[in-house]
Amino acid sequence: MRTEAIDPPGIMWQRVSPKYVTVRVVQWAIGNLVAVLVLSLPLLLVLTGWWRWLPLWLAITVPAAILALAIWRLLLIPRQVRAIGYAERDDDLLIRTGIFFQRTVAVPYGRMQYVDIAVGPVERGLGLCTLKLHTASPGTNALIPGLPAAEGARLREQLSARGEARLAGL
Amino acid sequence: MTAEGIPVEPAKQPAQQPAQPISPLGTHEAPDGEWLRVHPASPFIRGWVVLAAIGFFFGRDLFERMLQGRPVLEDGFTGRVPWLVAGGGTVLLIAVLGFILTWYFTKYQVSEGYVRVNTGFVFRQQRQARLDRVQAIDIVQPLLARIFGLAELKFEVADAGESAVRLAYLRTDVARQLRATILARASGVVQAAGRPQEAVPEAPEYPVLSVPPSRLIGSLLLSEQSFFVVLGGVASVVLSAVTENRSFYFYLIPAVLGLGASYWGSFNKGYNFTAAISPDGIRLRYGLLDTQAQTLPPGRIQALKVVQPPLWRMFGWYRIQVNVAGYGAGGNNGEAASRTTLLPVGKLVDVMSMLSLVLPDPGTPEPGRIFAAGLNGLDSDGGFVTTPRRGRLLAPLGWRSNGFAATDTALLLRSGRWWRQLVMVPHQRTQSIAMHQGPLARRFRLVDLVLHTTAGPVQPRLIQAGLDEARALFDEQSARARLARKRQTSEQWLAQLDPHQVERLKETIPSITPVQEGQQDG
Repeated sequence: MRTEAIDPPGIMWQRVSPKYVTVRVVQWAIGNLVAVLVLSLPLLLVLTGWWRWLPLWLAITVPAAILALAIWRLLLIPRQVRAIGYAERDDDLLIRTGIFFQRTVAVPYGRMQYVDIAVGPVERGLGLCTLKLHTASPGTNALIPGLPAAEGARLREQLSARGEARLAGL
Repeated sequence: MTAEGIPVEPAKQPAQQPAQPISPLGTHEAPDGEWLRVHPASPFIRGWVVLAAIGFFFGRDLFERMLQGRPVLEDGFTGRVPWLVAGGGTVLLIAVLGFILTWYFTKYQVSEGYVRVNTGFVFRQQRQARLDRVQAIDIVQPLLARIFGLAELKFEVADAGESAVRLAYLRTDVARQLRATILARASGVVQAAGRPQEAVPEAPEYPVLSVPPSRLIGSLLLSEQSFFVVLGGVASVVLSAVTENRSFYFYLIPAVLGLGASYWGSFNKGYNFTAAISPDGIRLRYGLLDTQAQTLPPGRIQALKVVQPPLWRMFGWYRIQVNVAGYGAGGNNGEAASRTTLLPVGKLVDVMSMLSLVLPDPGTPEPGRIFAAGLNGLDSDGGFVTTPRRGRLLAPLGWRSNGFAATDTALLLRSGRWWRQLVMVPHQRTQSIAMHQGPLARRFRLVDLVLHTTAGPVQPRLIQAGLDEARALFDEQSARARLARKRQTSEQWLAQLDPHQVERLKETIPSITPVQEGQQDG
């Protein structure tokens, strides 16, 4: 199935740094490898003969299925990172994410209450940062991950300046 | 890990005097408005539980002895009496002293653009809130305070947490006067120069509607909760009959007690509900034992939802809930829920008058028809755009009703066939917009559109709209919200409303004629 983007046509999306794939892979590894290792524990116990009640096929299938799922998600990461985009329009910032579950959000500059920049340990090593926009609504949840540090700083200044110029009340 | 935040400066008010320096703690001279104290009895009313506990602890034994006819003091006990009395007296003294100190150190002031409250004597706290940022102002009277003629004033700003300013307790007339003063200054009424202390007259108000007790009881009996109560009751009877286990009923006792408390809470909160309109905004009053009077200044309602649970349809009843920035999310029950309820139960006429109060300018020549279509309509009644026919497999019941309609001032979202719901978001209150699409919806070229507003019971979401329609709406809505924001320049609402607004409002209410009851779809 050819995926059709839901976002408005004719927008030049700025993509995030390809290095962000590494950050996502590290996150993936921490989450998924631990899960697979824990689920492989029964297999080890069955193979060493400690557990006799568990059938061998079940002990193999569960971790294998999780592993397959994890690998699939690993393979998806580069595409997901490529799918993240943002566009500065005259009055709002557009952010899009996702291929399978798509989400496009428009945050008007005048509605931004404050802008956060967060840098994790892996991101710092790669010179990246995550920018988060906050409005008066908890539902906004607009973040741009994997920005090069300089671009993040530029965007933050830009957004703050535009926000001040257009700030509206609640 | 570093995080940087850039707080955006609050909007500059062109018409306002330059912000005055915050007076440091302890200095009691303010350029305008003297520091006042709350009523001396208030700590005792707030802390009556403590006094009652002390009294109970020391008095119970004595009382029981007297009842049983035993000597009040036993022989071996007499020696310790002075110690006990001294101990009890000390505890009582400390409690009372603490009360007096809290009272002494609690001071408030209303000066040019701010209301300030100082509290605490060990850990001091000074709070100040900008008057033009008021989101709502409430006068609360718990039963005990009501007996003594006292009231609590709550002043909400846009922070979904605790009340910005809470003054407990003031004499009722003082609280009302203070509310009038705060609202007058927040609205931008210009005070006579040189006489800032002159009392501001309370804004006149016109009653709009009230909920009779019989309808309130009926609505509670037919509520969603009752449905599950009946279901649970039937299930437990069947279970006990099948298992022949009588002890089962014992487990129901706490459930029944809890339900009784819950019904009583709803009844107590919703009793004698009246709504009125004044230049200061919408006034809501309700309560049987504890009474509450809310004032929502114009334009403070971020989003609104009209709901009709299935059982209410036979009487044509609706409920209205709102998002207000200071009120926060609000649970299913309790104070937060009642504060976010604009109308606990009402007929179509009541709903229409409330809608006309919330949205004085509906932005359409025939608001009655569009709102009625939003409540009861199907398909393209009233200009609604619904889920395209290809989506009927995803929403076999709702596809004809899920849809949107936009007027010049607000976006209306209709959803649900059984559980009918109409959400209204004024364009100038939209924070941000998002489109969501999952793999299944993509098969049908459908998309969900979410409007983000402040935290509250209303979560506006247009479900399963056609891709092209949603895309167009996404763009149009951004543009409309931008225009509406430009039009709204001041937080002081008198700058946006002209003085004859209320008179015109009164005229528009009867003109919005609801559709006939017979036209409702069964």
